[in-house]
Amino acid sequence: MSATGIGASVPRKEDWRHLHGKSTFVGDLSFPRMLDVAFVRSPVAHAVLKQAVIEPEDRARVFISADFGTVGPIVADGTIPGYIKTDYPVMARDKANFVGQILAACIGPTRAEAEDLAERVFFDFDELDAVTDAIAATEAGAPTIHPELPDNIFHRLELGQDFEEIRATAPVRVTRTFRLARQAIVPMEGRGVVALWDERVNQLVVYSSTQVPHLIRTALSEFLKLDQNRIRVIAPDVGGGFGYKAILHPEELILGALAWKLKRPVRWLEDRREHLTAGANCREHIYKMTVFGDTQGHLLGLDAEIIVDAGAYSIWPHTCAFDAIQAAGILPGPYQLSNYRVIARTVATNKPPIQAYRAVARPGACFATELTIDALAREVKREAYLVRRENLVPVEAMPYKSVTGKLYDSGDYRRSLDIALGAIDLAALRAEQKERLADGRALLGVGFATYTEHTGVSTSVVAWMNTRLMPGHEQAAVRIGPDGGVDIRTGVQSHGQGMETSLAQVASQVLGIHTDQIQVTHGDTALTPYSTGTYASRCMIMVGGAVGDACDKLIGRMRIAAAHLMQRKPEDLVFRDGAFHAESASMTIQEIAHVYYFAPAELPDDIDAGGLEIVGGYRPKIDSGAFAYSTHVAVLEIDRDFATVKLRDYVAVDDCGIQVNPMIVDGQIWGGIVQGIGTALYEEVRYDVAGQPQASTFADYLVPGCGDVPKIRLFKTETASPFTRFGIKGVGEGGAIAPPAAIVNAVNDALLPFGAEVAEVPVSPARILHALGEVGFSPGLVAGAKS
Amino acid sequence: MKPAAFDYVRPSTIKETTEILAEHGGDARVLAGGQSLVPMLNLRLARPSAVVDISRLAELTTIEVSPSGISIGAMVTHATLEFSREPGRTFDILRKVASGIAYRAVRNRGTIGGSVAHADPAADWLSCLLALDATLSISGTGGTRELPISEFLVASFTTALQADEFVTRLNLPVLGANARWGYYKHNRKVGEFAEAIGCFIEDESRSVRRIVAGALSSPPVVLFAGAGGWPTNINIDNLRSAVQEAAPDVEGDHIHFHAAAVLRALHSGALS
Amino acid sequence: MIHISLTINGERVEASVEPRLSLVDFLRERQHLTGTHVGCEHGVCGACTIHLDGVSARSCITLAVACDGRDVKTIEGFEADTQMEALRVEFSKEHALQCGYCTPGMLMTSYELLTRFPDMDPADIPKEMSGNLCRCTGYQGIVRAIQNAYAANRNET
Repeated sequence: MSATGIGASVPRKEDWRHLHGKSTFVGDLSFPRMLDVAFVRSPVAHAVLKQAVIEPEDRARVFISADFGTVGPIVADGTIPGYIKTDYPVMARDKANFVGQILAACIGPTRAEAEDLAERVFFDFDELDAVTDAIAATEAGAPTIHPELPDNIFHRLELGQDFEEIRATAPVRVTRTFRLARQAIVPMEGRGVVALWDERVNQLVVYSSTQVPHLIRTALSEFLKLDQNRIRVIAPDVGGGFGYKAILHPEELILGALAWKLKRPVRWLEDRREHLTAGANCREHIYKMTVFGDTQGHLLGLDAEIIVDAGAYSIWPHTCAFDAIQAAGILPGPYQLSNYRVIARTVATNKPPIQAYRAVARPGACFATELTIDALAREVKREAYLVRRENLVPVEAMPYKSVTGKLYDSGDYRRSLDIALGAIDLAALRAEQKERLADGRALLGVGFATYTEHTGVSTSVVAWMNTRLMPGHEQAAVRIGPDGGVDIRTGVQSHGQGMETSLAQVASQVLGIHTDQIQVTHGDTALTPYSTGTYASRCMIMVGGAVGDACDKLIGRMRIAAAHLMQRKPEDLVFRDGAFHAESASMTIQEIAHVYYFAPAELPDDIDAGGLEIVGGYRPKIDSGAFAYSTHVAVLEIDRDFATVKLRDYVAVDDCGIQVNPMIVDGQIWGGIVQGIGTALYEEVRYDVAGQPQASTFADYLVPGCGDVPKIRLFKTETASPFTRFGIKGVGEGGAIAPPAAIVNAVNDALLPFGAEVAEVPVSPARILHALGEVGFSPGLVAGAKS
Repeated sequence: MKPAAFDYVRPSTIKETTEILAEHGGDARVLAGGQSLVPMLNLRLARPSAVVDISRLAELTTIEVSPSGISIGAMVTHATLEFSREPGRTFDILRKVASGIAYRAVRNRGTIGGSVAHADPAADWLSCLLALDATLSISGTGGTRELPISEFLVASFTTALQADEFVTRLNLPVLGANARWGYYKHNRKVGEFAEAIGCFIEDESRSVRRIVAGALSSPPVVLFAGAGGWPTNINIDNLRSAVQEAAPDVEGDHIHFHAAAVLRALHSGALS
Repeated sequence: MIHISLTINGERVEASVEPRLSLVDFLRERQHLTGTHVGCEHGVCGACTIHLDGVSARSCITLAVACDGRDVKTIEGFEADTQMEALRVEFSKEHALQCGYCTPGMLMTSYELLTRFPDMDPADIPKEMSGNLCRCTGYQGIVRAIQNAYAANRNET
């Protein structure tokens, strides 16, 4: 086994270029005669569009919907029961349905000049009342956004059955409504597209800051009505994705269409204001939870209603129904629950189209479930962690089939909670909490959250949806070159998670050679096998498995060559540390490769003609999912005057199965946690009644900075998945799931003496003070205990 | 987000600056450190016909200390004040306030004059200078005039500057060796703009006592001033009343935030 | 168009620029120094951090015209710098970068801390780095890398 195999914290190959300022992000590309694009975006949330008012001298440089009549519309469809298909015009045509929706594209030699031009373009419109509330949107008399949706409902879902007896007899019943605010995803690099027509190969080449180049290629083909092999999509370095860049965006189609039409390179780089307004498009869910329990807080039944504020359009490929489908399926959480019913509605509003942000609906579902568990614990007057622990699926029950049919493959959830408890001194914290209550210092709160998550969305889980997001077997190409070095080519895209290193480690593990000799190529549709891309914490499972498969097959091929060259029987050779060994002879991969490439006459005549390049493939035999899980604990203080929350300690106990690169795993969890802290404490885009977003710069939209986050204490366990190659589970998203739950549970723990409870994120000072105000406390009263 | 086009002028004297400003009739903006102006240009919230760069007016970068007063040039950066080695209480306050402004890179370029002329109510200098009862030196085509900061700050982002005028110096008192002071800034996130500021100065040697509340939606206000106007026992309740009286637009929880910021400033200066 | 003459990474540069051109766009688009990144264009995120006359500055809210006669250093200007190299080694060791977009800004800011404020209390690192946003790393590795760099410098003196 090589020192750079699975389990080694190999330093990242990616680091050098980024540390030296030699990355290549899409904005770093320049091409001769390139034009910059600025968009005219709708200033209103809901309007009938009439005509565009463009000066004649500007007309040739402005492109409106009518100029691209054959492009799109984007249609996200499948066979999803309860889902109604609608059109998403690439540029607004007859109606504008959210502030920031593209009305026109303007070109210029520089972005500044394109923006000057955009300022001179006007649209006549008749403004309509805006729909900004997902509940009001479904009520009679609400303005409708799509003709196909008379009640503004994109998708309805009902799972499970009612449980009348439990409803009637359960001794304890707790009802709560939880809300998560609309957020923007805020990768540090915005989206960006450079498109050009390459005459040499007669192809539209689209450089896009995307996580899913092959999917974008498929979308460009479908919606531009261009054969797929006339299109190449390349994702260069991508500065953060988190899901934002895992779907098709209209700008990709528009830039492609412009490049094709103008036969000149065109560029669009999303600026921060565009992102915070037109890209405020995730997380906005409402959960109405009614839980039934016994007197000890053991769960007897859960009745839930989920409302997803889906914005104005259904995104491609997986449709806007994805959030609700996922939330409904995972809401029972890591708990033993046999009675569950959920009704979910995905509702159209005059806001940007919702898309999945890191962990999709799991932060919302975890928030709702974990706060409900704590509310249940308060109702039965027991410590929340005890009620939690007793309800968690015990390790003896693994694999455990949840009430929604998910198979939790492996894991010791109770041990995860126990380790978390052991990392803090709860008794001391409780004592300090009492002291602080009495002496007027900032309030102290402790909150827990445990979750399990389906990582690596698999074929059987999404096949019934029949959208274009259809992960099947994953392929990876592995080639051993003339010098014995290895090239891996994969259709996923690495944008921070270090796959140029970790996938090399998988090959290193199987082939026994050093990662320095292994090069990973990704992100380019011309160079790599098809893949649905990087999302859903799938890559290590799927591409790791495919690379493993390709390497296994290469070893098989080389074994036959080695046996021939060493004059042994293939089964008598032992492959170890990058070489085939017989009792007194050995041959390295490098030596075998040399023969393949420079002395093929020495190979056996019947050697496989495929040489040392193989496209391997993989899908877990049982692909019901690899469930990673974690417990988080938040310890925080609430300032009595300002109601600001300060995180004092944050513990995460995480299990993502077998870790390929523990250092990279840590980074994924830390990053997810801090984004979760953003969801919990800071991030929201509010809308006024006219549908105008109230945040457009970082002055209004707050994201956590270095001084806002504590040192995160991370503990890891490794429970292999029985279903995946190497026992790997996914880890890219999980960190973001629990923080809103752990933090708000801690806030409510601190507010318990006052009888106040918060049920929304972000838990801003205003929301804390509102909760206190509801039970008769004003900041002065809370603060005035002793000053 | 790129600015709309504008002309750029870089005068070499104060007089030349005032003439250029007069020529543009109020449609030019003075560029000092740019930390407030350029974001607004980028967002196209400011669309001047010309930007007048005063960064080469060397006389605006000096700090002059005499027994009777301290004169700070408008182009003095926050960082210069943060690291100033001048002794005395006034500089103690200036160091403390400067060190809390935004982030280091902003402090390296942003200027005290630019900040005051921009008149963002949340800006630290406004509250601090009001507590110090500073006066501004303003130059126009007709010469120079002095104006107390309370009169200079007319409204949010609005000053008493005429079209041909710009701020050249900020004039502060030399506080007594035993003066007491406190400054407290409340915000939700490290480095962001204040949501409430409290600042007080008590200088018995000059019979000066002032308590200021800032980061309102309008310029900062003096809550208590003078020898007689200060209650014997200051607490959260009379501070809340004072905030409501001096700044009637403040509503709800924000009344408490402002009162609490002032109380913390008083505590930090061991005055309550 | 205004003529400017400035020094960038030790080299004299003459150029004719529109007044509205930001320093970051001048560096990236005209000088092809793409190591400095654009993250917000309103001076909050720090991705555009460079050194102007020896101190850190935000190039997205600096006008190129205002840099006439000034000295600019970007991430590309530190190839032979031993302090920067030490910082880079720590960043890689502590996994202080993932996508790399914020990284040049992080390096330029932390380099200034180490060289201009060698006696700073390392407990102040989180506050001092608050003007550089990162969405990937959760800041954990960044703080440790800079702490290590401070410790190494103290051990060497």
